[in-house]
Amino acid sequence: MTRWLDVEVGTDDIDLNTLPQNLALLDLHNDNEFKLLIGDFGRGEDGPKLKVFKGAMQISDTVLPDLPLGVVGFYISETVPRSVPIIAVAYSSCVFMYRNLKLFYKYYLPSIELSMCEMEVWKQLTNPINHNIDAIKPLIDSLKAIPHETLTPQSQDILTLTPEQRLEYLENNAELPSRNNAEIVCINTLKMHSIDKYSVSCVVIATEDGDVILLEPQTFSQLCQAKICGVKKTPFQMITTGLYSVDYRITIATREKSVCILKRDWPEGRILFNTDDHIIAIEVITADSSVMVICADHSMACYSKKGKKQWCLTLEHRPVAMTLVPVLHLGVTLTGVALASGHVHLYDGKARRDTVFVRGGCVGVGARASVRWQGAEGHCVCERCLTVEHHDASASGSPGVTLTGVALASGHVHLYDGKARRDTVFVRDVVSVMKFGQLGQEEHVLIIITGGGNLMLKILKRTADFSAHAAGVEMAPSALTGQKPWLIPKKSKLFLEQSVRERENATLMHKTFQHELNRLRLLAATTLLEAHKKSDNSVGIGPMESMRLTAEVEGLGPVFRVTLMIENNSKDKAVIGLSILFHVHTVNYKVSNPYIKVPLLSPGGKLKFPTKIEEVFDDNISPDVLFRPVTGQGGERSLIKVLLLKEGKKTPVLAATVQMPPTDPMMLPFDKMQAIAGIEEKEDSNWTNKT
Amino acid sequence: MGLLDKLSVWLGRGRAEVTVLVLGLDNSGKSTLLQALRPPDARAPPQHAAPTVGQTQEHFTSGGVAFSAWDVSGAPRHRALWERHYRRAHAVIFVVDSADHLRLVVAREELELLLAHPDMFGRRVPLLVFANKHDAPHALAPMQVAAALGLERITDKPWHICASCALSGAGLADGVAWLARQLRDAHLPHAHT
Repeated sequence: MTRWLDVEVGTDDIDLNTLPQNLALLDLHNDNEFKLLIGDFGRGEDGPKLKVFKGAMQISDTVLPDLPLGVVGFYISETVPRSVPIIAVAYSSCVFMYRNLKLFYKYYLPSIELSMCEMEVWKQLTNPINHNIDAIKPLIDSLKAIPHETLTPQSQDILTLTPEQRLEYLENNAELPSRNNAEIVCINTLKMHSIDKYSVSCVVIATEDGDVILLEPQTFSQLCQAKICGVKKTPFQMITTGLYSVDYRITIATREKSVCILKRDWPEGRILFNTDDHIIAIEVITADSSVMVICADHSMACYSKKGKKQWCLTLEHRPVAMTLVPVLHLGVTLTGVALASGHVHLYDGKARRDTVFVRGGCVGVGARASVRWQGAEGHCVCERCLTVEHHDASASGSPGVTLTGVALASGHVHLYDGKARRDTVFVRDVVSVMKFGQLGQEEHVLIIITGGGNLMLKILKRTADFSAHAAGVEMAPSALTGQKPWLIPKKSKLFLEQSVRERENATLMHKTFQHELNRLRLLAATTLLEAHKKSDNSVGIGPMESMRLTAEVEGLGPVFRVTLMIENNSKDKAVIGLSILFHVHTVNYKVSNPYIKVPLLSPGGKLKFPTKIEEVFDDNISPDVLFRPVTGQGGERSLIKVLLLKEGKKTPVLAATVQMPPTDPMMLPFDKMQAIAGIEEKEDSNWTNKT
Repeated sequence: MGLLDKLSVWLGRGRAEVTVLVLGLDNSGKSTLLQALRPPDARAPPQHAAPTVGQTQEHFTSGGVAFSAWDVSGAPRHRALWERHYRRAHAVIFVVDSADHLRLVVAREELELLLAHPDMFGRRVPLLVFANKHDAPHALAPMQVAAALGLERITDKPWHICASCALSGAGLADGVAWLARQLRDAHLPHAHT
């Protein structure tokens, strides 16, 4: 189940060739409809252009004077109603500001003054008197004495030439070196006073020499300037966080495998950390200022804001691009990493949450599939197809052929002549630029520009869920191989004390334990012996194991109803030839039916035998008998033994002892009570006739 | 048909008012469309419509059927509330901005979620789709919108699509008349003949 909705982009004339920094999402016309701005390098003879997309549709096209190095949009005032945003496009050493797509300001980087020595040398070099090899040599040596970095490109050039070439060079262009302009490498914006989406921002520029310049939003004059690092570093990507007037951090990736950090009021930045291989892209998580880095050695790492390495993942393929995917309503900020294999992985921290496969440019090729080939002329209508050469060849062989190209979702393009397939081309396309943000009125749009120049738009579904259980992506390999450390709780003080005690008193503890164990065994043996003596077991043993005998006593007395229940728990065996025998002292109890023959008991069967038992009282009865539960001295008198016998066996199968409850004194005939109470009365035998 | 529906038909024979749900993405023109459907005397002076928050109720009559229309906010965070209204709806009006090519897929996704919801699935609720803003540049034709929304796959509900322009009111009467006809046939056999 995918979490993304694919937008169909009519790609017939979209051919983009750009870099991540040249993408900007901007509410260009102040209508709350975000446009996609792309600074396009163009291909072939097409020059660089600034293209504006509304949704998937290109709505404007502005020719740029030079190759764009970065496109950013920002606001320069907070008037109500909102003013239109300014677009800043960086070129080699200048930044052009556009309002309503019209150029209105040009900012040039401050030029660097030439050193006096170099100027002096050049004055002599340009003098025609010195135009011979002998005269040049000492001058060149003095040029060599000046540090190489501070020289102008012209001086650097002349040092690389041979003496003869130098002479020729000087004779042809006898000019003093021009001013040395720094080159811009990246551009970004930094919010001034508020993190609001439409608040005023200033432009931040980083140069080839490692300078960072902040421009005032109103006048575009220099606010402040700083070096990114003490040693020479060349920045190539810059990410700003924080506010200019409060506190800000500029995180800069350099070409020298290190990431530098520049904070407010620092005259010079410092190295945050170094990586093992060349950095491809960095991103800064706003929540905790941690830095995500993808490197050329297939690694993706996270560093804390102090520069400490938090974790590192090894990716399956070479990473190409990275973008942050903040999904605010779910409270997560994912990191999207595009790989050279055509996959885009979304990570939450180091856990992978989703994978999107950028199929061989199927969107673009699919749209172009209906392009009909003009076989007779031998060229196709679509110039940008990957199969042009091939097609020319086949067409020239058989003039008049019209091939039909069909692009499949698998990334294959089949070329058909009628219904016969002539060729198959596999179009593999990978992400070249990726950006996530608001486009049009949709907040969560992933914009992908593929290496082939296609534009892909993917909208995050409203119902998308990136929580761990819903991710549906296999666990990280480290968790599978069990490299995850065990959760071992810390040793508490109590635990330590106990272990010391155990070590000191080991013998005593062992003895005590053995002693207790023996006592337990003795108790068990005694209980077993006692049970054997009484042969009191309601559960059978041996072949009669499945028999159970239980008894239930009802009534207040002196006549009780004892119900015996015999169960056959066996699943497949029936029992026959059983009988029940009551074993009672005739002085105490009288049983109405002391011997019961039990019929056949089917497997799982259960039979009930109610029997009447009457307590017998003789004349000199002790009152204790009636108060058994109170005094606890009923003794042997109140017990009835029930034996379950089997034909042909000498020992009973089961035996149960039933403790009879005392007869309620109120149920005794009055005269008997009198007798018990010791009053001289004639014996009345009425009660004995009772049944 | 649920008990509530039967009850409302039984009780509402005198009033004959049906509940219709007006859904669609934000900025598709739901509130403006309902504004245009009001009787002319009750119509507010034309103004810039602010996004609806929560929901509002509108009443209008067409084809002898009195409608009580629920205008529900279409903002992404409010779309989860749509399903609260499904149970009591007799009909659904789905408004699509036919000039917003980018979000047609989003509209399709929301429509699919609506049709698959347990309170909607299998009920014969008439679905009227307005391909709104048909006068805007680059607007798609109603048939293209229908194809983009995958309407042809709906089998359990009668559906109809028509182009409209909520600002001028063009096309609205046509669509609502279809809806009134559907509702009269299904729900109110005794009210009007």
